[in-house]
Amino acid sequence: MNKFKMFSLNWWVLHILALIFFIFLGHAIHF
Amino acid sequence: MTIRTYVKSTLFLALIAISLGGLLLHLRIHPASQNTSNFLPIVSGILSVIVVPLLFSGKKTIGYGYTLNGFLVIIGTIGMAHFAIDHWPEPATFESIVLKTTLPDIIVLWTKFFVGKAIFDLELFGYDPGRSKVGVTYRYPNTGWWIVHLVAISTVYTISGWLWR
Repeated sequence: MNKFKMFSLNWWVLHILALIFFIFLGHAIHF
Repeated sequence: MTIRTYVKSTLFLALIAISLGGLLLHLRIHPASQNTSNFLPIVSGILSVIVVPLLFSGKKTIGYGYTLNGFLVIIGTIGMAHFAIDHWPEPATFESIVLKTTLPDIIVLWTKFFVGKAIFDLELFGYDPGRSKVGVTYRYPNTGWWIVHLVAISTVYTISGWLWR
């Protein structure tokens, strides 16, 4: 976990941002 | 030209061809002017055709290319599955579910994932034919890690769609 350096962000920060993005996507997409 | 460059170029062409095909297909079947949700495949398609190959071509950015490519496939899978559920065939027989939903499109999309994985794995692990494949399945960059993310993102997307309309 400590080696995680994707986009120079901490693992938790990246996953919280991803969570917000996918919550928004689930809300926004309607077919 | 080395075999490495040749194989990499072939895989790059495959990646761009399938991405461009997908983008044009989406533009043909449902233009963004009809529904703002149709911007999702267009933005994903443009990222796949331009940004993903650029990231894949740099030694330092190949990991980002691999990651973006995989997440675009996951987003496409979830988006098309959502579309299929909202346009469920009537009557829902085995044949209609297999042939009249977006299932074939989702299967085609996964080609893009595996082509990207081949580019990444060949660059990361080398072209030695005798080299063993090692590593834990559920850890990055292995396929199990992607399955974990597919399940997690599907869950978040679905719950969000139910609770926050």
